[in-house]
Amino acid sequence: MSKYSVIGKRVHRVDGPEKVTGSAKYTFDIVLHNMLYGKILRSPYPHARIVNIDTSQAERLIGVKAVVTGKDTLGRKQSTWRRFPELCDEEILCRTKVRYIGDPVAAVAAIDEDTAEEALDLIEVEYELLPAVFDPMEAIKEEAPQIHEGVELNINVTRHIEWGDVDEAFKQCDYIREDHFKCSSQAHVCMETHCAVASFGYDSKLTIWTSTQSSYYIQALVADMLGLREGDVRVIKPHTGGGFGSKFELDSAQFCASLLSMKLCQPVKIVLSREEEFTATKRRTPMYYSVKLGAKKDGTMLAKEVRVITEGGAYTGMGATALYLTGFFSSFPYKYPNYRYDGYRAYTNTAPASAMRGFGAPQSTFVGESQIDMLAEDLGIDPIEIRRKNGMTPDYEVPGQAHIQSCGLHQCLDKIDEHIKERGELPPNRGIGVSAYGFMSGGIFNWFDTPYAFSAAIVRINIDGKVDLFTGACDIGQGSDTTLSMICAEELGVHLDDIRIHAADTGICPADLGAWGSRETLMNGNAVKMAAADAKRQLLEFAAAKLGANIVYDMDIKDQWVHMVDRPERGLSYFDIVKDTIRGRDGETIIGRGHYTPHRKGMISPAYSFGVQAAEVEVDTETGKYKLINVTTAHESGTVINPVGIEGQLEGAVMMAGGYGFCEDQPMDEGKILNPSIADYKLIRSLDMPETKILEVDTYEPEGPFGAKEAGEGLTNPTAGAIGNAVYKAVGVRINDLPITPEKVLKALKEKKQQAE
Amino acid sequence: MIRDFEYLTPKTLEEALTLLDKYGDECKVIAGGQSLLILMKQGLVAPEYLIDIKGITELNYIKSDAKEGLRIGALTPHRAIEKSPVVRNGFAVLAEMENRLASIQTRNWGTIGGNLCHGDPAGDPAPVLIALNANLKMASLKGERTTAIEDFFLDYFETALEPGELLTEIQVPVVPPHTGTVYIKFNVIESDLATVGVAVSITLGSSEGICQDVRIALGAAASTPVRAKQAEAVLRGKKITDNLLREAGQIASTEAEPISDIYASEEYRRELVKVLVKRVSREALARAKQA
Amino acid sequence: MKKELRFTVNGQPYELYIKPKTILVEVLRAHLGLTGTKRGCDSSSCGACTVILNGMAVKSCSVLALQANGGEVLTVEGLAKGNELHPLQKAFLDHGAFQCGFCTSGMLMSSKALLDENPNPTKEQIKEGIDGNICRCTGYNSIIRALTGVVKGEYKEEK
Repeated sequence: MSKYSVIGKRVHRVDGPEKVTGSAKYTFDIVLHNMLYGKILRSPYPHARIVNIDTSQAERLIGVKAVVTGKDTLGRKQSTWRRFPELCDEEILCRTKVRYIGDPVAAVAAIDEDTAEEALDLIEVEYELLPAVFDPMEAIKEEAPQIHEGVELNINVTRHIEWGDVDEAFKQCDYIREDHFKCSSQAHVCMETHCAVASFGYDSKLTIWTSTQSSYYIQALVADMLGLREGDVRVIKPHTGGGFGSKFELDSAQFCASLLSMKLCQPVKIVLSREEEFTATKRRTPMYYSVKLGAKKDGTMLAKEVRVITEGGAYTGMGATALYLTGFFSSFPYKYPNYRYDGYRAYTNTAPASAMRGFGAPQSTFVGESQIDMLAEDLGIDPIEIRRKNGMTPDYEVPGQAHIQSCGLHQCLDKIDEHIKERGELPPNRGIGVSAYGFMSGGIFNWFDTPYAFSAAIVRINIDGKVDLFTGACDIGQGSDTTLSMICAEELGVHLDDIRIHAADTGICPADLGAWGSRETLMNGNAVKMAAADAKRQLLEFAAAKLGANIVYDMDIKDQWVHMVDRPERGLSYFDIVKDTIRGRDGETIIGRGHYTPHRKGMISPAYSFGVQAAEVEVDTETGKYKLINVTTAHESGTVINPVGIEGQLEGAVMMAGGYGFCEDQPMDEGKILNPSIADYKLIRSLDMPETKILEVDTYEPEGPFGAKEAGEGLTNPTAGAIGNAVYKAVGVRINDLPITPEKVLKALKEKKQQAE
Repeated sequence: MIRDFEYLTPKTLEEALTLLDKYGDECKVIAGGQSLLILMKQGLVAPEYLIDIKGITELNYIKSDAKEGLRIGALTPHRAIEKSPVVRNGFAVLAEMENRLASIQTRNWGTIGGNLCHGDPAGDPAPVLIALNANLKMASLKGERTTAIEDFFLDYFETALEPGELLTEIQVPVVPPHTGTVYIKFNVIESDLATVGVAVSITLGSSEGICQDVRIALGAAASTPVRAKQAEAVLRGKKITDNLLREAGQIASTEAEPISDIYASEEYRRELVKVLVKRVSREALARAKQA
Repeated sequence: MKKELRFTVNGQPYELYIKPKTILVEVLRAHLGLTGTKRGCDSSSCGACTVILNGMAVKSCSVLALQANGGEVLTVEGLAKGNELHPLQKAFLDHGAFQCGFCTSGMLMSSKALLDENPNPTKEQIKEGIDGNICRCTGYNSIIRALTGVVKGEYKEEK
């Protein structure tokens, strides 16, 4: 028998048949009896005091059922950083002050969307304009306007990471270089915009269907904000049209729909428009990097000093985490013996900058991988070689921060080296750029202050052998329902179609922190595996007695066959054992329970995945335009549970991270985002998409279920850096600010030519 | 949110013109609506009456003959032009241009006339039609008139259509022998609107001879699609060399009046005009030699 | 004033009274309950609302419903025959040509229109055929592989 019967196989997604037939229901599709439609009025000003809001005219419009403002709230402030009250700074419905263009000030519920929208025009808000600040460098000056009361110099969060003796180490370096980079904003552009249907009934219980990455966070935050008991709030995540980091904070659709529904005892649905999605939800954090890097002549990197200022926007959101992680991942994937990071997050009067796929790591990887190539060139060392020299290895301790167990970075470097050699001599103006990366498999930090395990699962085996898997994990498209079902089936020894997953419904599922930080496969996977093992043990106890095995651990189940491990031919049908066990226990249901919280795993994550990417571009030197020809990625994510899922994550990351390097940006004027539509926000389409190739490297992660770790966000890290390095290889110009647009490339080419003359 | 309107569906051109005359400023005409509906959703356009002319079949045609050249009804969908054998054989540049205009879905429903009347300086058909020396036929209750397409565009999203007038036909004259026409647009995303678009038509005296006539048209390089007449003058009457092509590009870039926006600075657009005029002219020349 | 709309959707004739401003996707979703067709942008940019109207792929967020009067609409709900999936649907499943699934209905309809018109497209033509549809999850290549599989005849339609 092969080692695994389910995992590692190319299977159909468990949500596949519904999704390819259009029958999958998203929050966007939900219509309830007696449902109203809500719309949100948002500030047109970046910074202003609310003097008065007159809703009387709007309330008189026929079809309008309720109008709410900050006065209808409990006046509480929240953020996902719940443990730190000073970082809970977002009211959602502003009572006294607006801090960015898009800040919500009122919400309307009406019989249809058009009426609700018409009512918004009838709400009169009197604003007293305040001076605003948009640039984080300006925001931290004495004379800058204060955005949040009591926050000096608008510094929202600072982070410091240090190990070794950086100053002393720089003295030992043969070579030091210092560079500056700017990493731009990026929009998530989930195909399903943020939306929620909230229904508060006469039983005083609130049910919310919403497009979310964490039903549990939303449940807890809504309860806090509305003064309800957590248990009276049920959050259900139907099929969800993408998240990418934008959907694990409480959003205006969820909050306003709930508030309106509580007032009316009627269901209220709010769907953000695409324009609201661009202007009034969160975005990737723009970062200004200054990096000093020192090395010996042979390329050994001795010291790195990183200073980062991030444009935080109006509220904290998950920006504090992005600030920490960008500092931590600035050391990745290399063994810096001496390292110092100082990060500052400044409040600005712009849309809040927060989490997006990769958190702060796509930024730090672009910076780090650009700079290591510069260093390699200066020292006359091959880019692959310098990465080999300094790259992390298994069982490596990041001083005071993390313990890395499995690590396949060097095998990935070998594969990419081979790939580049295979490509051979390239035509003029073509180049291949390399970028190495690593990422975490879920976060250890508990800023949410949850008393629950980080992940949990329940397995229930029914009389016919069908297994109900209950988990709080959120499938937002990344495929966790499939991966977790596969893990459950493998552990229990049954087939994938024996599993029926019930996920992300707080009414019936145990809490899970949700789908962010690439945590579901490892953390929820461990919980599911434990729950399945618990249920299996109950079956095996019965089977052991029946078969006369020495102890229960001598037995196992595989392919629906309950057997002695050493004598697999001796066994019984899984279905018979299920029936017998239930009957033999007086009909008591077989329930397995599992949970997972990482312990003693450092500050960041229980496990890390690694990879190396090579991007090939061809530059048109007269226009600066370049074509993405091929992106080849060697990566390792431990044992591959769901190979089709990994392919999708990887290729999709090339589209998203390639876009970050190539074309995606959010230009602003005085705090106003200038391209808030898919027509104006440029996304890679099929004709622009490069060829993608995947080179798998085998590793085994002791901490992961069956040896698995993340394969989601990490893949977003390398591409911008690889593109930047490829452009440099092709035509010898380096762009230090994202995105690398044709215009910037051409300008650099001209400057280079002028310097040469 | 789209505001309510009265919806009128004339079946003939005559009916449409009558309605247009009757409702004047209070009405708006919709064909494929690929641009108009977006403006209506944004509340930028909110007519009392919407006259839907998409159903007027008499304005949906592609005809060609050796004397008159190509005639395209204003309500012909982009996709029909792209796929028309007549267009592909005799006016390949039109089909090539259509192939990169927005998406297939938009080309299926959107019409050539609607595109022109929208008056977007970044639209693809206008530069090509200018290079092809096309005329536009317009009709109103007062009668018909014809204008050179280059005179049709007055300013951003503003055309020479008078109140009560409809664009009815695009007329492309017979392409003279030894003529090559090429359109290239620059954009970052392949199927996007042009950051700059350039169409060039070159007619040679003989297959290796001097440039008898040339028309260079620029898109997204001014408030309207425009001809680069000074650049044309560089090439006209000469045997075209690489140096002349470069010079033409250089002159076109000073002639253009582009703006800075979120996609490109004015300076970069001028640079693109310079490069594209040179490249497109070179390709047009190569085609002319083979024609 | 409301107007009459008569058209067929997935072979079923309908007669509705609608406000003239109603766009096609709203009629399909809100009036007929065919929520497989999505809306992603409302600016004719993302293609999530793609349906086949009179044999052509169109963005149903950019077509007035009354312009479909007398026409035939095919939506994703009309692809499968009972419980027998269309070859494209099977190929999408095999190749994992979707993740969140929100763009999938539109992607399938663009693909169908492409193959109806040209059963043997080149890879470049496949890319062109789906270029009007944004997918934020897959990076398109799995979708291209799925279509290639159908073109190669790996997925036969049951007669």
